Amino acid sequence: MTASRLNARQILFFLAAVAPAGKLVLLPSLLAAQAKNDLLFPILLQVCVQAALVFAVLLLARRERTVYALLADMVGSICAKALCILFAAFLLFAAFVPLIEQKLLVQSLFYDTLPSYVAFAPFFLFSAYLCAKPLNALGRMWDVLAPLFCIGLFGILLLSAGSADFGALAPAGGAGAGGFLRGSAYSSSWFFDAALLLPLVGKFPYRKGLAWKGMLCYLAGGGALLLFLAVYFGVFSDIAVTQLFAFAHMSKYFSGITAMGRIDYLFIFAVAFVMTFYAAMPIHAAAETVSEAFGRRKPLAALLSLGMNAALFALLFALNFAPSATIAAITERAFWVFPAVGAGAAGLLLLLDGVQALQRRRHAD
Amino acid sequence: MRTKHWLKTLPAKLWIALAALVAFTFFSNDFGLVDIQKTAIILAAGVDRTEEGFELTAQIAVPKGSDRTTGGTSSVEIEGRGATVADCLAAIYAQTGWVPKLVFCDLILLGEEAARSGALDALDFFLRNEYSPDSCLLAVCEGSAGETLKAASAIDDASSLALEKLFSDAAKRSGRVMTATMREFAIGHYGASASGYMPYVRMIAQKGPEEGAGGGQNTAAEEGEEKLFSAEQTALFSAGRMTGILTEEETAAFSLLKGNVYGGALPAGDATLAVLKNSGGVSLQAETLTAKLSIGLKVRIAARAAASSPENVATNRVTQAECLAAEQALEKAVRSLWARCAEAECDLFFLRRTLWRRSPEKYAALKDTPLSEIALSTEISVEGLR
Repeated sequence: MTASRLNARQILFFLAAVAPAGKLVLLPSLLAAQAKNDLLFPILLQVCVQAALVFAVLLLARRERTVYALLADMVGSICAKALCILFAAFLLFAAFVPLIEQKLLVQSLFYDTLPSYVAFAPFFLFSAYLCAKPLNALGRMWDVLAPLFCIGLFGILLLSAGSADFGALAPAGGAGAGGFLRGSAYSSSWFFDAALLLPLVGKFPYRKGLAWKGMLCYLAGGGALLLFLAVYFGVFSDIAVTQLFAFAHMSKYFSGITAMGRIDYLFIFAVAFVMTFYAAMPIHAAAETVSEAFGRRKPLAALLSLGMNAALFALLFALNFAPSATIAAITERAFWVFPAVGAGAAGLLLLLDGVQALQRRRHAD
Repeated sequence: MRTKHWLKTLPAKLWIALAALVAFTFFSNDFGLVDIQKTAIILAAGVDRTEEGFELTAQIAVPKGSDRTTGGTSSVEIEGRGATVADCLAAIYAQTGWVPKLVFCDLILLGEEAARSGALDALDFFLRNEYSPDSCLLAVCEGSAGETLKAASAIDDASSLALEKLFSDAAKRSGRVMTATMREFAIGHYGASASGYMPYVRMIAQKGPEEGAGGGQNTAAEEGEEKLFSAEQTALFSAGRMTGILTEEETAAFSLLKGNVYGGALPAGDATLAVLKNSGGVSLQAETLTAKLSIGLKVRIAARAAASSPENVATNRVTQAECLAAEQALEKAVRSLWARCAEAECDLFFLRRTLWRRSPEKYAALKDTPLSEIALSTEISVEGLR
């Protein structure tokens, strides 16, 4: 059994109040473009699917063994290593959208005019440091980030709700089945939270009911996301599609802002701070997966972190002139990767659980 | 032993220090440094149509030392011409070396010709520019926007600041002006109604510095006539083009229908009533079978007499006759407002949007009904505050 380095509470914090942070930047406007006023329905579907996957991943954590260990038992260490590398490659692919979102967000929100390309480069130093840290640091981070996100999102929603015309969400079904399907497909690239949990399996103690609690926490976070999207569409209605960084703009129409100034920046910066950590999460998960598969040799985590971040920085720099094309390539053409990996992981989890149960029965016999 | 431990943890400490430093840079917005000598902080933008495209007049805040330094904000107006608004901004940059900064632009003024030929052609740049706030106010002006922005205001150093005073919350509550932000106008335009409105600004000449409201000490007054601005009329837009103008009475009726007015004045025959409470509403009835739409406009006002005779000063009661006179005047203004909207084909009350939200089928059947064919009913109620 691997020593527990995370707390079950910290996992719940991540699911309820860190995971939704990654879905507030470009996703709302992309959804508004595809699903129009029906943007809540595709997200409801995604949240429910991810909640079920979270439940399955947390059930697997009952064994208190890492996914690599479980895989190695089943298919041998070489195949397990290969599967882990493939999974890490998927996580790095999934990291692309949050990274581009972060880059565009920083350029738009933190600067008054377009800054130089390298303004975003420090993020990778930060990310490299974060990804080399052990898991207990990740847990402590979630302890801090979760309340920060709750306060930030609550403040933004409080200041925005008064300007929202919720009638804009009517008529339900106005975008038709095509809008729902496109919205569901294109939003897949933002929903891989269960996959982020996989490298953590076996690294926190499983307590009774954790799978249910995890699922409910994820649904609660999803509920907050749905509320955010409803307010967002209420505020921007027919121009929602042009609002790329809506969470940073929707609260500025609050009537008190003219008298008090942009007090909403306090909440916006709190959410943006959490997003910065969330953007590094897939890279952390990829480094953790490979590091686990190769025996956690001491300099390996640091080297993997540096290598992965350097590669992503180089790629992002190379694609500096094509952020929209990159986002479109991932969300419109390669979106199927996310549900495919989700379905594959779910199948694998069921298989692992079944094999484990079978082995236990044999031992008992 | 301790030294050895310190040396062992040194790389981690250095890394933390570096991460802290870069995180600080990351969130610092270039440490907030704005080189005022190289940056043009645009307070307001005026857009006019020209033969080649557009002329953009940017009112720029400048450090004190210019000719308008009697206090407050000094400003200078720079013009740029080009096929698009973006070209105009680029021309300003090329001619002055100032980097135009739009984050503080609180007012966009459209010249009448630019508004009539298509407001969104001029506004689209600002709507899509990430650094231009879509909470900025919009207005159309009589004649040229550039001339209006360059006019010497009798009440403020910068004409844009004088204009913004007209669009304050207090002015809105008086019922004499209907303001629109970029967001509100764009939502109206891109929605099912494709309609909108914004205040229509006119300049009023002051007779002389001695008689002017500003006191006449301003050096600008020596150069030309000081101006006051009026925004009591409202420009109507349909499909992005300005198609009509509401009169002062119609603007006041529109404001009362929106339920905006707290403290405005209401004519009641020979007397004037002070509006204390106001609510308004628009109802839409759609009959698909007969393909008929009807609209109900409802205004409720609680008022008191604005001026009383000495014997009535303690109560300030409103008489039945005054209420009736006010209701009749308001009824006339509301009907005139509706007729003006129908004439301009401006769906000011967003009836088509309401229809779409209620039922896409009814919307498909009735969306092309001309506004002039929609039956109007009104319900006006003016009473004294009990």
